[in-house]
Amino acid sequence: MPSSDPLPPKESALFRKLLKCYEMKQYKNGLKLAKQILSNPKYAEHGETLAMKGLTLNGLGRRDEAYKYVRLGLRKDLRSHVCWHVYGLLQRSDKKYDEAIKCYRNALKWEKDNLQILKDLSLLQIQMRDLEGYKETRHHLFTLRPSQHASWIGFAMSYHLIGDLEMANSILETFSQSQASIETHDYRHSELLLYQNQILIEAGNLQRALDHLHQYESQIVDKLAVQESVGDLHIKLGQPALAVPIFEELIRRNPENTLYYSQYFAAREFTEPADKLAAFKQFEEIYPRAMCPKRLPLDVASGDAFRAALDSYLRRGLRKGVPPLFVNVRVLHRNHEKAAIIEELALQYYENLTRSGHFSREDADANLPVEPASALVWTALFLAQHYDYKRDTEHALEYVNAAIEHTPTLIELFMTKGRIYKHAGDPVEAYMWMDEAQSMDTADRYINSKCAKYMLRANLVKEAEEICSKFTREGVTAMENLNEMQCMWFQTECALAYQRMGLWGDSLKKCHEVDRHFSEIIEDQFDFHTYCMRKMTLRAYIGLLRLEDVLRRHPFYFKAAKCAIEVYIRLYDKPLKSEETIEEIDSENLPPSELKKLRSKQRKAKKKAELESAQAAQAQVKREQHQKSKQQANQEADPEAPQLDELIPEKLERPDDPLDKAIEFLKPLQQLAKDRIETHLLAFEIYCRKNKILLMLQSIRRAIAIDATHSSIHACIARFAQALSKLTANGELNVSVQTVIDKATKELIGTKSVQQLNDEFVAQKSDSIMHLYEGARIMYELDPNKRNEAIKLITSFDINKVKLEEATKIFEALRSGAFGECTAELRQYRTTCQQRFKYARVFKDIADTESNAAANDVNHVDEKSKPNAISADEKTADL
Amino acid sequence: MTRSNIELGDVTPHNIKQLKKLNTVVFPVSYNEKFYIDVLEAGELAKLVYYNDIVVGAVCCRIDTSENQRRLYIMTLGCLSSYRRLGIGTVMFQHILNYAEKDGNFDSIFLHVQINNEGAIAFYKKFGFEIVETKEHYYKRIEPADAYVLQKTLRNTNSNTSGANSNHIHNHAAHSNGHLDKKEKKA
Repeated sequence: MPSSDPLPPKESALFRKLLKCYEMKQYKNGLKLAKQILSNPKYAEHGETLAMKGLTLNGLGRRDEAYKYVRLGLRKDLRSHVCWHVYGLLQRSDKKYDEAIKCYRNALKWEKDNLQILKDLSLLQIQMRDLEGYKETRHHLFTLRPSQHASWIGFAMSYHLIGDLEMANSILETFSQSQASIETHDYRHSELLLYQNQILIEAGNLQRALDHLHQYESQIVDKLAVQESVGDLHIKLGQPALAVPIFEELIRRNPENTLYYSQYFAAREFTEPADKLAAFKQFEEIYPRAMCPKRLPLDVASGDAFRAALDSYLRRGLRKGVPPLFVNVRVLHRNHEKAAIIEELALQYYENLTRSGHFSREDADANLPVEPASALVWTALFLAQHYDYKRDTEHALEYVNAAIEHTPTLIELFMTKGRIYKHAGDPVEAYMWMDEAQSMDTADRYINSKCAKYMLRANLVKEAEEICSKFTREGVTAMENLNEMQCMWFQTECALAYQRMGLWGDSLKKCHEVDRHFSEIIEDQFDFHTYCMRKMTLRAYIGLLRLEDVLRRHPFYFKAAKCAIEVYIRLYDKPLKSEETIEEIDSENLPPSELKKLRSKQRKAKKKAELESAQAAQAQVKREQHQKSKQQANQEADPEAPQLDELIPEKLERPDDPLDKAIEFLKPLQQLAKDRIETHLLAFEIYCRKNKILLMLQSIRRAIAIDATHSSIHACIARFAQALSKLTANGELNVSVQTVIDKATKELIGTKSVQQLNDEFVAQKSDSIMHLYEGARIMYELDPNKRNEAIKLITSFDINKVKLEEATKIFEALRSGAFGECTAELRQYRTTCQQRFKYARVFKDIADTESNAAANDVNHVDEKSKPNAISADEKTADL
Repeated sequence: MTRSNIELGDVTPHNIKQLKKLNTVVFPVSYNEKFYIDVLEAGELAKLVYYNDIVVGAVCCRIDTSENQRRLYIMTLGCLSSYRRLGIGTVMFQHILNYAEKDGNFDSIFLHVQINNEGAIAFYKKFGFEIVETKEHYYKRIEPADAYVLQKTLRNTNSNTSGANSNHIHNHAAHSNGHLDKKEKKA
């Protein structure tokens, strides 16, 4: 590398050694070499050496010094590409990719054909999805090194990503033609061909794709991919007959792939259920052990054909004792006719198994051998799950208890019993049964996790952590380990539990932890930019890039973000007092004796705080030691990873601007989860508080586009109208905004007043409790005198048509004073709900809850000990 | 009968709760913690029985060296009522018998059974057990409180012992389940 500030030969040799040491990660030696050069007074301010010294320090984890020296070096030699490159590398290691890109660009100004810098730049550009820039850099690299494979591939890929599929294809075409000899079983070449094929398919050149596959079939080692693609292409090209043998062969290869069956039907051009059922029957005969030909007909069949298929499917499962049998048929319940048949058959099994040990009377009459003794308990479990699905708690409990009586050692029964209570609205009883299940097999992580989740639903965070610790690494707390393992379901459930308990800071901490996992996953793709190119796993690489682009679409992110947004909105509506003001007590107006007490209390508190801080300091030291030992353990374990701010609940729950924080969580949802109505309802809540009239309007319109009948939209419109009239009255809208708003309001509201709008809404939606609820709230807000009417509107609704979640929402609204003071109505509604949902904890009287909990404990003991009751008469011989 | 699968499995700290549940249901007395701690150390002498992958029975034994003999004592052997008459008890007993025969150093296998437990008595007689003694007031909190000692001799040399004990046979008509080890029940 020619330098702008050249060193004499001796120092120059040292500098080259220094570079080598850095590459070899011999940072200590590197520092010595840098010192040697810099100790020569003539070169004490040599820019490139200073910069390299900084980079070497960074390798040792001395970040602050690193920045100091690199910047110093750069200042001494602004025209050195080395200094700029080094600065770029430093920023990159700090994950400041935007800054790093700028540095590389500056470096290229002074050394425009430097391969290393160009390669590094291209990595950053793809990471940041600067696709235009990536294409340019790749083109530059290609012109510099046209003989290298990687140049061609990267060049083609840059066009693929930008959407110029034709160009991408022709680059790859030229490249593969230029390749002289191809070894047999060349995996990389094979992948390249399939990648090119993928481009052809994406470009819609199906015939060319098919020809391409046929032409190169012998060179492609992933035979399965070829078969799948060829079959699919034949169907899409209108040659279904050619696809039939292909999918027959694929089904033979793997009879459990549901996709093959649907493509087989497409190839056979089957539309009639009867044809499909006949085909399934054939496959079942050919592959008697396969599950698909047994299960899939249940989706297709109806009436008697369904009954027959289901009968044999259920019998097989109950005979064998297939634990997820119910889950396998749960989706069929959406069809009422099928749900009824399921219930009928299961009841018939139960009755006959109890009587004669057969699934049906016909079997008994035919003197067939009896079913296994376990069939009865599995049938009872199935029925319990079935009734639980229907939210028929009484029947569900009846069957699960009968099952427990029959086989008290079957763990699934206790899990189901817990789940029934969960659905019935009693998370405490639910977790106790799940805990019981967990205790029966403590080596089963699935049940362990379930138990932890149920505990979190009952707001028992500590207990949940303790349960999890049976499976987490020793030496660190379960909470830390679960965070390290990116165990998001746990963290999200924690966040929701804290939210329910009003521990806003703790809740936010968990939400932010989840958010950071997503950032980290995006971060992690960096290594794959080089790895996948080298290994030529290009199809998988493109898949990865596309996944990362929409990563936060994942339901895990949605859940955490929703929680965070709700908490931030809550903190905006009712900000917490600062920590000091809580402490401060009006000491002036206290009588001396009280003051004395207070002082001694404060002293004690102070002592305690000091003790705690000392302990915390100790813990800190320990943690640091732990960190150090960890670093020593794996010395090269990325000392470059930037330190993130520690998440402190007390700080998190006192944000400067909660709504801006909420928007940070909202943005990815608006971009990636725009098909979920909740996204826009949450957006409305935020913008409404920010008084952003246009954004409110936008949220409403997007929500309407998804589901115009959603019960919450009406309230949004009403609030929008109110906000609008306030703004108009104050004359705060500028003319162009006013024009847009006027046009939109005409569509949304017309000329009606909010009052009219609401009256109409309530009249129209008298058959939907959630709509009435929204209407009633607006009614009360518009005119507090209509309180009684509003409350009556919702409390007089037929409670048998109300779901538990809906009743809970209404009850909470009444309790929180959304309809003003209404003790009597609240008590009345609670009683109504108690009768309808007798297990739901939320409707139990507060005073009763505690004693109930105690009583429940007793019940537990009772129930568990019931079977031990000594009644020798009832029992027959034990064998 | 439709094909079903009967297998033996170890008792471990992870699944011991299942054994406890089973015992509380099958036997009219409850066993103390010590019993379960010992069971964990018992190796082949304590086994769970799985019927189609569900725990439905268990057998727990210990080696008894009193009376100058080395005998195998069956503390508990029982099966859930819904799974009786399926050959599960036989599987458990056969396991214990195999163990004792393989060891080759046992004089006999013996156990206590409540005198009215006809089912159990018939079961053991099928395998060559004989009533060798009746212990009055053996059980504390259940009726009848008397127990038979059932014994199956393994060594020919000890035939005189069983002969001597056979004088104590009592005939009581009764029925119950399981046979019980008094020592455990006392706690």
